[in-house]
Amino acid sequence: MTTLHPPPELRDRTPPDPAGTGSAGREGPRRAGRSGGGARLGRFLRRRPGLVAAVVVVVLVLTAAFVPALLAPGDPAVGDTAQRMLPPGPGHWFGTDHLGRDVWTRVVHGAALSLQATVLAVAVALVVGGLVGLAAGYAGGRLDELLMRGVDVLLAIPAILLSLALITALGFGTVKVAIAVGIAGVASFARVTRAETLRVRRSLYVEAARAVGTRRLTTLWRHVLPNAAGPVTALAVLEFGLAILAVSALSFLGYGAPPPASEWGSLVADGRNYLAVAWWICAMPGLVIAATVLSVNRISRALDGEWGRSV
Amino acid sequence: MSRLLRFLPAGRGAVLLAATALTLTACGSGAGGAQADAGPPRPGGTLVVAVSSDQGCADPQQVTSNDSIYALRQVVDSLTDQDPDTGEIVPWLATSWSSNADATAWTFTLRPGATFSDGVPVDAAAVKANFDRVPELGARGSLPKGYLAGYAGTDVAGPTEFTVRFDEPNVQFLQGTSTHSLGLLSPDSAAASDDERCAGVIGSGPFTLERYVTDDVTVLAKRPGYDWGSALFTHPGEAYLDRAEFRVVPESGVRAGSLQAGEIDAIASVGQQDEAPLIAAGAELPARANPGIPFGITFNHDTPLGADPAVREALARGIDRDELVAAVYPSQTRPATSALASTTPSHADQTGHLGHDPARATAVLDAAGWLPGPDGIRAKGGQRLTVPLNFAQNIATTKPALELVQQQLRRIGVDLQLVERQISETAVIQQKGDFVALWANLTRADPDILRSSYWSGGNNFYRFPAGGPLDDALVAQAAAVDPAERTRQAGEAQRLLAAGHHQIPVVELTTVLGVGPTAHDVAFDASSRIQLHDAWKSE
Repeated sequence: MTTLHPPPELRDRTPPDPAGTGSAGREGPRRAGRSGGGARLGRFLRRRPGLVAAVVVVVLVLTAAFVPALLAPGDPAVGDTAQRMLPPGPGHWFGTDHLGRDVWTRVVHGAALSLQATVLAVAVALVVGGLVGLAAGYAGGRLDELLMRGVDVLLAIPAILLSLALITALGFGTVKVAIAVGIAGVASFARVTRAETLRVRRSLYVEAARAVGTRRLTTLWRHVLPNAAGPVTALAVLEFGLAILAVSALSFLGYGAPPPASEWGSLVADGRNYLAVAWWICAMPGLVIAATVLSVNRISRALDGEWGRSV
Repeated sequence: MSRLLRFLPAGRGAVLLAATALTLTACGSGAGGAQADAGPPRPGGTLVVAVSSDQGCADPQQVTSNDSIYALRQVVDSLTDQDPDTGEIVPWLATSWSSNADATAWTFTLRPGATFSDGVPVDAAAVKANFDRVPELGARGSLPKGYLAGYAGTDVAGPTEFTVRFDEPNVQFLQGTSTHSLGLLSPDSAAASDDERCAGVIGSGPFTLERYVTDDVTVLAKRPGYDWGSALFTHPGEAYLDRAEFRVVPESGVRAGSLQAGEIDAIASVGQQDEAPLIAAGAELPARANPGIPFGITFNHDTPLGADPAVREALARGIDRDELVAAVYPSQTRPATSALASTTPSHADQTGHLGHDPARATAVLDAAGWLPGPDGIRAKGGQRLTVPLNFAQNIATTKPALELVQQQLRRIGVDLQLVERQISETAVIQQKGDFVALWANLTRADPDILRSSYWSGGNNFYRFPAGGPLDDALVAQAAAVDPAERTRQAGEAQRLLAAGHHQIPVVELTTVLGVGPTAHDVAFDASSRIQLHDAWKSE
């Protein structure tokens, strides 16, 4: 299992502008005006074919997740055993599997399950990690010590091992896989949120808000949270890619939805025994996972101020 | 990944072996042309076998998984042996035996001169030590405990004479003595705790256990001076091989590839997709259907669905066994025709009750009030015909097979839900009755397997109702000393099981080995496991 670490600048950089971190793009078009913005966008994208491809892949994946019938009208669970293990070609773009089911149809219909688990996993990590980080950073002192040492313990255990331990306790199923992956991702969110909260907490406007007697929770909610959210959002997108991998890994190991559900990881696992004679059963879903993870990472990098840095 | 790396040192060993072989052929160049037919058996060499899993125990009395039994069968001898062709029981450590009229006492005479590899003689006292210990084994010892059901004690009449007594008639005990599960351990090994025994045991077999590493490898070494083989062995004296090594390689593709590359000599559990490449590489694919209960679906009769004969019959008729066998299983596999597999003694064909007949399946469901809903799934009184089927993935073909069964049953309007469980969980689920239907098989070369599975007075995992004609037939076959009467009663039990669709047999588990061109005479025993005493390697 490959572990991608968030780029260092996400963890400990101090952005120049507390209000617009990680989303500098929002201000670009406004400054440049509408027609100039279009030209700039065209230039921006022309120089980045990778980013365009990444967006296309993500749009396709999202389409597959929400309206799978648009891309693959067939039934993913029904095959014709007379047509099993046909190589990729017209009629079956990704080939057919060991029971004669169309691999493309199965990948498309599996997207919803895999993405659902991924979104849930990131949401769990974001909400729990964000709250822990916010509380630790804002309260400071003993609570900070206590929470962050807890986070250190989580960090000390390899993420996939932690997920496996959790899934063993929780049982099988898509939602349980998502929770297991989410909990394992709590630590990185907690640390980034805490770092941001610490920085924002000492800024003038927060001290001013306190000085005029705003209540602590209101300050936290109205001033600290929105200004600390930028890097955390970028991390969430990055974490999305990691979560796809982790969710697929667990469903590869058989912890996901029961058959005949076609989660991406279990599709790869199904093809394992046929590698020598029918490589496409394994390779096609594997390539889709790889393409999705790379695309999400590419977009996450673009969100991380690439527009602002471009000319 | 680490499993691949593990092959490296072995590869170096193979080079050494090949070098030795070259020197040997150079010296004995007179025997040229022996490549085509392998010539007479030659002693020496190491046979390397790849299996797909390990049960985590090196005690033949406590393992149930074929992959573990392959290696451990070689370490122990049994009182008797069973002819795989005729099912006849023949002498091994015991030269003769007899039972009293109601099969509650069995008297054996041992051959003199056999010893365990720690030097202790194989005598009546050693047998008593083994049998006395069996009822105390934990959950892992379910097989030998079943063979010794009703065990009342062993009387030692002399060093080679003893009598095993039972509280109730026990005809199947004789076949039990031929299995690895009642293979004899040295009294010291037998006395050790269950877990100590799992780390390694001492037997009297043609091989000794040299090294056992959980989930990795089992190494056997030839027992020097072995001279008390079964009547079925084709040569007297020691085994031909110096060593046998059983490596755990989970992926079937990697096993097949290693055999093609000549890195290993034999593999277990050959998949359908690996057959053609292996045959092209010159490997032989011996196959034998495992005797006992074939893979199939059995309902918990305490649940509403399990108690509904229409649902049971619809499933039995809705499954297209021929399509299943052709699409998923190795080509030598046969569809199941009865509650017993075709290689079990007393098997009786019940195809009339089990043939694929979707028209009849839908008619039966219609008549019982299960009518198709808008999505094609049938329902009755608002309840959908959803059957949760528990299964454990103990061989690679299980999941694809069940996904196909799921598709087939959908065509007749049954929604089969597949619930995967861990292999270790299955025993607990059965005991608690916490299931609607279960996918399982059980290997044993004796019809008594039906009684231990379906008799309402036994474990009765499937909650069969008590007191019916099925119970009578099952008990009668267990007490029938006359073989013809026993076959008749066992046949009646199979007919009742099939006619009531109490158990829905689907496919016979068929053990397919891949044996490379340099390995010879790797033979199946009556339970479709292997015996290596007569196996040899040519170079």
